[in-house]
Amino acid sequence: MEFSADLLINAIVAGLLLGGFYAAVTVGVSIAFGILDIVNIAHPAFIILGSYIAYIVNSRLGIDPIAVSIVMLPVFYALGSAIYQVYYVSFEKRGQEALRGLAFFFGLLFVTEVMLILVFGVDYRYVEARYIGPSLHIGFVDFPLRMLVPCIVALLLFLGLELFLSRTFIGRAINAVAQDQLALRLMAADPIRIKRIAFGISIATCAIAGALLIIIQPVEPSVGREYIGRVFAICVLGGLGSLPGTLIAALLLGVVESLTSTFYGPSWAPAVAFGFLLITLAVRPAGLLGR
Amino acid sequence: MTALLQVQGLSKRFGGFIALDEIDLSVEKGERLGLIGPNGSGKSTLVNCICGTLHNEAGSVHFDGRQIDGMVAHERTHLGLARSFQLPRPFPTLSLVDNVRIPLLYTVQARSGLLRPAGDLDDRCRDLLKMVGLDAKATRFPRDLTQVEMRKLELARAVAAEPKLLIADEAMAGLSHSEIEDILALLVRLNEQGITVILIEHIMRAVMSFSQRIVVLVSGRKIADDTPDAVVNNPEVVGAYLGQ
Amino acid sequence: MRMPLFTVIALGVAAVVYLAGKLFAIDYLFFAGYTVLHFVVLATAWNILGGYCGYVNFGSAGFFALGAYTTVFFHKAYPLPIPALIVLAGIVAGLVGLGTGYLTLRLRGVYFAIATLALAIVLQTLVINWNYVGGSRGAYVIRPQTAPIIGSYIEYLFLLMLLLTVLAVVVARAIERSQLGFGFATIRDDEIAAEALGVPTLRLKLIATTISGGLMGMAGAPFPYYIGYLEPSSAFGLAYAVNAIAMPMIGGTTSWIGPLVGAILLGTLQQVASVTISSAVNLLIVGILLVAFVIIAPNGLVGLVQEFLRAATPERMTWRSLGVLSVAGYGIVAGMFGVVFSLSAIAAARPALGVLALVVSVLLIASAYGLLKLQSWGLLLANASFALSIVLGVIELWFVGGVGAGIMHGGAVAIAVAAIVLLQDAGVKSLYRVPPGERRATS
Repeated sequence: MEFSADLLINAIVAGLLLGGFYAAVTVGVSIAFGILDIVNIAHPAFIILGSYIAYIVNSRLGIDPIAVSIVMLPVFYALGSAIYQVYYVSFEKRGQEALRGLAFFFGLLFVTEVMLILVFGVDYRYVEARYIGPSLHIGFVDFPLRMLVPCIVALLLFLGLELFLSRTFIGRAINAVAQDQLALRLMAADPIRIKRIAFGISIATCAIAGALLIIIQPVEPSVGREYIGRVFAICVLGGLGSLPGTLIAALLLGVVESLTSTFYGPSWAPAVAFGFLLITLAVRPAGLLGR
Repeated sequence: MTALLQVQGLSKRFGGFIALDEIDLSVEKGERLGLIGPNGSGKSTLVNCICGTLHNEAGSVHFDGRQIDGMVAHERTHLGLARSFQLPRPFPTLSLVDNVRIPLLYTVQARSGLLRPAGDLDDRCRDLLKMVGLDAKATRFPRDLTQVEMRKLELARAVAAEPKLLIADEAMAGLSHSEIEDILALLVRLNEQGITVILIEHIMRAVMSFSQRIVVLVSGRKIADDTPDAVVNNPEVVGAYLGQ
Repeated sequence: MRMPLFTVIALGVAAVVYLAGKLFAIDYLFFAGYTVLHFVVLATAWNILGGYCGYVNFGSAGFFALGAYTTVFFHKAYPLPIPALIVLAGIVAGLVGLGTGYLTLRLRGVYFAIATLALAIVLQTLVINWNYVGGSRGAYVIRPQTAPIIGSYIEYLFLLMLLLTVLAVVVARAIERSQLGFGFATIRDDEIAAEALGVPTLRLKLIATTISGGLMGMAGAPFPYYIGYLEPSSAFGLAYAVNAIAMPMIGGTTSWIGPLVGAILLGTLQQVASVTISSAVNLLIVGILLVAFVIIAPNGLVGLVQEFLRAATPERMTWRSLGVLSVAGYGIVAGMFGVVFSLSAIAAARPALGVLALVVSVLLIASAYGLLKLQSWGLLLANASFALSIVLGVIELWFVGGVGAGIMHGGAVAIAVAAIVLLQDAGVKSLYRVPPGERRATS
């Protein structure tokens, strides 16, 4: 593989676009794991669910996948709230979340994936939209629209959530619930309700992330599992509970994956994220900007 | 320095919050030290740093002549440091007897390198439970205990580790008058057998009668370190803690 | 019971199982038996770290595959007899377990769990990119025609796996009853308190990870010879990831019996389901059972039985409690198999009968749960479900012919009748007539 500046720069740009998308995929876990300390490893499964819903509506009715995902936001939010309720009653209340909570989410991940296999089979599915295909060219740099549009949407989502968490009452209550539940109660806010809202938001992001995913690449049920490592690698690398950290880590991962893929071959890409994760955990578990 | 425990310049932060600010503390062998202060002043944090459950950012801890800063908690326990937890942390799936057996197996036996016969261990466990008045419930589980009984179990477990220095963190909270007397008598007895004791308490009567010296912690700083009478009359202490 | 005696008994049971297999002399039994047994080893191994220490390993497939690929590597480089391969695989997997543990066990259990997931994928990626062991195309491993002494090679594999199972179970039980087991339990219960009392938690966790990983690798070593063609997606497959967790959690994580029960029950169930329905559905059932059990019966089947015995007969076992246990046990096993058979009936275009069978099966499982939890609705539901199952059995006898089916359904009806009779016993009824607020089974 010849090394050229062209190739390098395009790989980096692709990596940045990818990284922006990764930030959207991860932001839900940043909230659930980083702030609420809930290890939802089923998060990628819900993203894939979002992808398939976008796929069905898009292939039947031709509606743009991102539009579909916005309509689906309340549904996913409700799903998230319901799951948190079950999680809370069964595990958090009894202090059993370490082993059983993990097994619960693993079970959910698994059941979701298998049900998708049963309903849709293992063929790759993709969506059609006007911006899938064309590219923007600036000099010798390519900006494929199927990556640029999701990246922009992802960054908007990210920005929106960051503002929500830092400027609104509920957003700040969510940050507070991680640190001091008693103080929150004294301010007449019910911590359980706050956590339920937060987890609902976390799963709601999956609707959008799923639509973005299927725009970027064709999807089949086991794709979710590749993302578990990416998502937690980004979360840990960025530092738990820090949304800006998540963004930086996501961009970093995107670029490294893109470079690896371009110069060493795409079959090595999944290992990059996990390698990142293992190294981060071994060397600096608090992450780049961690609390 | 021949002090058993020597803490120098110990500081601990949680993010931006300074929990402990350059604490100096020394405890002589055989001493009975009281540690008091308002809630949130850092008493338990100090204990956690001394015992290795938390790591301090600055300062040093010397125990029995050795610097123990790099050591993990269980190594410090093997050296002779033992503590009870302010909020009791029993092992829920083990019976009371087995709860007490753990430090015997993992500290006492590990230290001596000798394997005691099982019968001996059982007897020692029962004796420890009897010491705190829990031998009737020996085969029961922590979920069957009251809060007060759980604190007694905490103490029994700490003593089981045959420590040189025992730190009792609010072991008497919620006890009745006579129960407090019992625990005090127990601690005095242990002290007479050679165990150095640090008593962390809010019950002033107990602290006053027990301690040879009292250290006062307020907002992460040590503001007094003197005999009980001197401390009780110290205006800063009265203002910050006692005279409320 | 002391360990030496237990070991002898375990070997004895293994001998009986093996001889029984030889008696029937059907190769399929050995194939199916091998599958169930290697799940027992996997589940027992997982439980040493997961159940005893409380650290979840999501990457069991990785360790299993490590063992399998060690075999493939040596098969190509320097063929060795399988027992040697098993030992080598155990060492390799054990070392990897040690390494992973060393990197991550100083952090919270959550990070260890995520790291194991990462490990499995990293290993899979490495294997896919390593052409010597076949890469993504997979590797053919020709099974020798005959085995030393035994003759049939599949019998030989079965026997090896049987011995490995005995080893795993003996190791698990020995740990449970030793000082090490106590230490593991304190790590699970409260790691901080354990450290404060002198338990060297990191060292113990590393021991657990090494043993657990090593056993999993050993379970994987004979696999390439068993299956003939090894490719990454089957070795690292979904089935191993979920089964290694589901079997101990459904069986019960606090003792060696749990993974054994869970693996035998679920392993057999999956064998049947793979044949009658698709393997995707069979995995779905396992996943749903995992979620259900984790929520409503966190201590697994063994836990349910233990709680029942403690609440119903605190002193010693009576005939009554044994009877209720049998009824509940039958309800669970028959119910689970019933679900599988009813799904296959629905798939085979006999929907009405299938749905009825499905309803009855689910009710049987629910009523067994209620019986074990000493809930009065459990008794009610049990009576109703068994009555319904008699109806179902009669309908089946009427419509479905054949001697085999006749014996099966006839037997089911007979058992159901016996169960209902038992449940009318005054002593049994009194167990369930306790007013709320008084003796409640632990929730």
